[in-house]
Amino acid sequence: MSVPFRIAMTTSLVLTVNAVATVPAQRSAPPPPGGAQGDVTARIASAAQSLLTKLDDAGRAKVQFPFEGPQKTRWSNLPSPMFERQGLRMGALTSAQRSAVKELLAVALSRDGYRKVSEIVLGDEVLRSRSSQGARDSGANPNAGRAGARGRGGPAFGEDEYYLAFLGTPSATAPWMLQFGGHHLAINLTLAGSQATMAPSLPAAQPATFTVEGRTVRPLGNENDKAFALINALNAEQRGQAILSSRVADLVLGPGQDGKTIQPEGIRASALSAAHQTMLWELVREWVGIMNDAFAEPRMTEIRAKPADTYFAWSGPTTNGSAAYFRVQGPTLVIEYAPQQGSVDHIHTIYRDPTNDYGAKFSK
Amino acid sequence: MSGSWTSAHRRDEYLQAARLAIDPDRVELALDLTAGIAVAEVVLSEIDLDGNGSISVAEARAYSDRVLSAIALDVDGIPLRVELVASTFPAFDSVRQGEGTARIQAVAVMPPLADGLHHLRYRNAYRADIGVYLANALVPASDRVIVAAQRRDINQRDLVIDYMLSGQPTPVARRGLSIGVGGALILIANVWWRTRTRRREDL
Repeated sequence: MSVPFRIAMTTSLVLTVNAVATVPAQRSAPPPPGGAQGDVTARIASAAQSLLTKLDDAGRAKVQFPFEGPQKTRWSNLPSPMFERQGLRMGALTSAQRSAVKELLAVALSRDGYRKVSEIVLGDEVLRSRSSQGARDSGANPNAGRAGARGRGGPAFGEDEYYLAFLGTPSATAPWMLQFGGHHLAINLTLAGSQATMAPSLPAAQPATFTVEGRTVRPLGNENDKAFALINALNAEQRGQAILSSRVADLVLGPGQDGKTIQPEGIRASALSAAHQTMLWELVREWVGIMNDAFAEPRMTEIRAKPADTYFAWSGPTTNGSAAYFRVQGPTLVIEYAPQQGSVDHIHTIYRDPTNDYGAKFSK
Repeated sequence: MSGSWTSAHRRDEYLQAARLAIDPDRVELALDLTAGIAVAEVVLSEIDLDGNGSISVAEARAYSDRVLSAIALDVDGIPLRVELVASTFPAFDSVRQGEGTARIQAVAVMPPLADGLHHLRYRNAYRADIGVYLANALVPASDRVIVAAQRRDINQRDLVIDYMLSGQPTPVARRGLSIGVGGALILIANVWWRTRTRRREDL
């Protein structure tokens, strides 16, 4: 399959399933009171069970893990096989099975969250095509970046290299986890009846800006633009409090840093005007809102309730288009955004809840 | 953007990420070391000293000690002795591909400190030619320690953590207790030695 054709196929799938995703209670109306979250969990569990019926025994064995076990923390920003993932590999699925996975993600995530995840995957498809082209131009292995070219341990890019896993049995009431991830993506969605958390998760992007069929795609563009808008909206004194004096070269609490809480820095949200606080919360929503709206809204309420203990920190230039690091940290929140090696085209981010990573609260 | 697959990860930098946990009587240092693919061979040559393509326990230990010897910790200007607690190293190939992270844990015992404001300084001079650095204080586990501020140089090789210590015995009382216990131990040892010597003479 040619590279442009693969990208076009991926794009069309993104658009198709986006349409599917709009059908359930997504953005169109606030969730009804009472059991809205429980209803959503039931629909996610139902979509997961529907996928299971489409798999053979080997597929079911690959996707299913115990709720408690090493799979929970087995995620990374790195591509496979540099990081050895386990679960159901997208490249091993039939078209119908792959569609079932996407329908599951469309139910589990918000419309915007699904868009973001799809664009991160699409970006990896672009990276794969560029790697292949680069290899052809240099006379090296033209299959570079493909799964079959992994013999010497080089990375494999593209939609095929993303993995799905269920930890525990998909259920409307009992705790279980949906994991979906690959290069530059780790979604860890823990569900327990009416409760859900997406912490920790890692949405990242490389390339961070690309064009597909004449459309400019920026998977993390809103995150970037909202942060620059906020830092530039502050007055000089506030910026002085927010901006750290040192360069931040990478995520501080990236993969492998579970259970750690760093000392918060920057300006407190309570020191911002109401308008600037709103800008901060809308920035935070870019991560929280990856989850289905039914779960994102109560989570945003929880985060907004602690402005005096929530900090916004910045490192780097403040002109949009520059590579700058920022962090939002509160009692139940850590968000980091870290351009890699000074490149605006390679972004890592992390979303954590130090009190509830992997749904720690749900099993107490 | 480079078309090479090396664009997927860190290239010509050696990331050294430190997290410091301050307790009233000790400071714990966790250091994560990730060499980019372009400098991995240089770093590996310092770890895999026998050049056999694997990292032995002894080599990991020796390298950890070497890294720690380039790290200085002091509190209020008093140098602290940094001792290796444990280290874990990834597979040789993992480091060579620029994605393996070595993790070093160390500890330093604090001298007796009075209640009030103190300054813990961390400096990392290891491989400044290729190093990029992160240095952060963790939220202290003890409610006797409150971090007031963190001050860094631009590259995070140098971090000063200003912190408040409270709710402990005064240094004078603690010193007095130490002298008392020490004196008692010396007295017991002296009696034991004399008794032992007398018995030998009796034989």
